[in-house]
Parts: sequence; structure tokens; C-alpha cells
Amino acid sequence: MATNSGAQRHRLLNFLATVIVISSGLVTLIGLLSDDGSTAADTARFLIQLVTVIAAVAVLAGLVNLVAVHLGRFVRAERGWPYSVFVLVVALVVGVLRILDRAEVWSGDLEGEQISVRVFESVQVSLESALAALLVFFLVFAAYRLMRDRVTVWNALFSLTVIVVLVGWVPFEDMDVLRDVRDWVVRVPASAGMRGLLIGVGLGTLTVGVRVLIGQDRSFRD
Amino acid sequence: MNNTELTWVLLAVALAQTLAARILWRRARLYHRPIAAYRVLPEQAADAVESSNRIHFSLGSSALGESSSLSALGAAEVVYRLSERLAVSRQTPLVTLSQPLTLPLAQDTLRRAYEFRQNMAHYRSSAAAWYPQGARSLSFAAGAASLAADADVHSSVLLGRFGVEMALLGESALRHDQGLIAHSDLPEGQAVAFVQADEALLGEELYVAAAYLNGSPLERGGVVALDVLRWLVILGIIVAAVQAAV
Repeated sequence: MATNSGAQRHRLLNFLATVIVISSGLVTLIGLLSDDGSTAADTARFLIQLVTVIAAVAVLAGLVNLVAVHLGRFVRAERGWPYSVFVLVVALVVGVLRILDRAEVWSGDLEGEQISVRVFESVQVSLESALAALLVFFLVFAAYRLMRDRVTVWNALFSLTVIVVLVGWVPFEDMDVLRDVRDWVVRVPASAGMRGLLIGVGLGTLTVGVRVLIGQDRSFRD
Repeated sequence: MNNTELTWVLLAVALAQTLAARILWRRARLYHRPIAAYRVLPEQAADAVESSNRIHFSLGSSALGESSSLSALGAAEVVYRLSERLAVSRQTPLVTLSQPLTLPLAQDTLRRAYEFRQNMAHYRSSAAAWYPQGARSLSFAAGAASLAADADVHSSVLLGRFGVEMALLGESALRHDQGLIAHSDLPEGQAVAFVQADEALLGEELYVAAAYLNGSPLERGGVVALDVLRWLVILGIIVAAVQAAV
């Protein structure tokens, strides 16, 4: 009996979720395709603003999740738990610094400074830049591994293109031909391929969008 | 035809084709072209269950409420279909992401999979982990890669929106001898996926996951709709090119 009422409640909630999703989706779609200033456009803008507010709240939920995940790793002494402790300590320190910034407690040389922003820029941006510099090595090694593991026409073409483009960037004298080839590769086949991918992604989102709009997406159906 | 009219036409064609293909599917068997990643994914899930290891799913910076909303939904569909199979194991799949709005989607997707298997005792909401995104998403990639490396992960499945930071996640997966299936709806991420992954999903292939992983007739109809739309676009491009040349 209790199971039946639970299932009925579950079905009712799913039905309500489906109705809300379909109506919000249709209203937003119609609003976005309507002229500015119309009621439909204003309603769509309101719904989008609502999402922005929810996004701001979701950051807090994300922070709680971050703390829960790393606290859990620390408590269970999972592999790599010292890193989790470090994450928690840094999160706490940055949070406290931000509060102190807002309270404008700094004096002397630091007066008016945003220390949390300075910490972010000096640590986070530097680390990200260092990681970005490593990426090129990862990619070149991945291209080498691709040719070592699976030699196909497409993989060979990919590797050849990588070599031509990379060498084309080297500022050697009398290398105009290679530079022209590089420019052509970037302008014509690479650009065409990129557009092809983006058109494919666009069509894919359209079919998923249709499934959502007719209430058949699993996210709110089950 | 302006953009508004074009959008309505495309939506109408997609809807009509999806419904028509759904009816056709019930009367005759339609065959979809094979996609290697969708053949490998269930095998990897089975291997992970047998070896009592986890699978790491990453949704990257796919975000509900932004232009990558449908990528997030498409990726969540794959997570659900595979988590359904993984939910028989004690090892909860790991889901990492960098957009806070996608966190409830990821947690709910895992919860539904465990509920379906009636194994809520092993569901943990912290199995979905959010990492704040830095200026280039690299801090997210570094954090997610480190978490996956520590968690006895059997395979990494990267789906949704990734830029070049995917190389960091991919390199870590390969270095730790994990399988790697990857996709991105951004060209730079897609290039990295092609070069690093054991099997890459290209462009629109993410959005037909439901059809390939035990899909319903309607979801299989979506694949036909996508094919029809793709051929319409190809014809449109050819006609426009011929017109421009004449």
C-alpha cells in the first residue's frame, strides 16, 4: 500500500516536472524568437534571469560539495588525503581573505588592496600558465602515440598536418612555401572541418532539444 | 528566410522526423551506423564492475542554462545509462564537473541509476565532485585528474564541453593505464579527443547516446532525424556552392 502511494507520488512529481519543463522551454523558445519588447520576449528574459539567480545559489551548493568531497577523503584517509587537507585549508584561507578584503581591514602599504585577488592572480594564474605550457608536450606525445598504436590513413594525415603546421610557425628564412601551406591548411581544411563539427553539434542539440520539448528526456521522465 | 523562420523549420523537421522514425521503428528494423565508442562503453562498464574499480565521468564545463545545456543533458544520458550497469557494484562512479549548475544534474543522474537498481545503500552524493573553474579550466582538469588517479579508476569518460584542458585529463588517464573515451562540443577539445582517446565521439555523436545504449523507439527516431537534417544541410551547402559558382 505504502509502495503504491510512493509510486503514485513519484509519478505525479514526474508529471509536474514534465509540464514545467515543456511550458518553460516553449515560452523561452517563443520569447527568444520574438521581437524585443513583446510580452513573450520579456517572459523569456525573466526566465533566463531566474536561471542566473539559481546559478549564483548553485555556486554555494558547489562549495558545500567541494568541502564534503574533500572532508570525506580526509576522514576516510583515502589515497591522496593530504591534498584534500590542503584544498580545505586553502579554501578557508581564501574565504577569510575575501571577508577581510570586504571589511577593508588592511592598513599601511596594503590599504585599499584586494589581497584575495592578488593571491588568486599570483598563485592560480601562474599555475595555470605553467600547466598550459605543458599541454603542447602532451599533445605532441599523444600524436606520436597515435602513430605508434594505430597507423591509419587518417592518423597519418593528422600527424603530417601537425608537423607541417608546427614547422610552418618556425621563422626560418626561405620557408615561404611551408608558411603558405600552413596558412592554407588553417584557412581551408581546418576551418571547414571546424565548421562541420559545429554544424553537427548544432543539429545534435536540436534533436535533443526536440526530445526535451516533447517531454521525452530521461532527466525528468524517470 | 530569416533566422527565426529557419529555427522553426529545423525544429519542425526534427520533430516530424523523430516521430516518423519512431513509427517506422515499430514496423521495420532500422539500422544505425556503428559508433565504436558506444560498443566499447558497455564493455568498459562490465569490466569495471568485474574488477571492482570505478569509472570516472567528467562533464567538463557543460552548464545548464548556458549554450552547453544540451551537451550537459546528452552527457548526463550517457552517465545514466552506464551508471545503471555500474550501480550493481559497491564502487560508485565518479563524476567531475566545473559548473555548479550541473552538479545537481550529475547527483540526480547517479541517484536515479542507483534507485533503479534498488541499491541506494551504495549511493553517495559526494561521488559527483565540483571543481571551481580557473581562467583556463586547467585547475579543474588538474583537480579532476588527480581525484581520478587516486580513486582506482578503470576508465575515464570525458563528455560535454572541454577545451585544451582535456589534454591534461587525457594524459593523466593514459599515464595511469585507464581507458579513455572522449568528446567535446568545442573544436579544440575535439582535436585533443581525437588524438588522445581510445575511442572518440565526434561532434553530434554524443547526442544520440540514448539510441545506442538500449534506446527507446523515440530515441532511435532522433538518430534518423539527425541524419535527415545532416543530409539537408549537406544538400543546402552544395546547392549554395553551385549557385555561387554559376
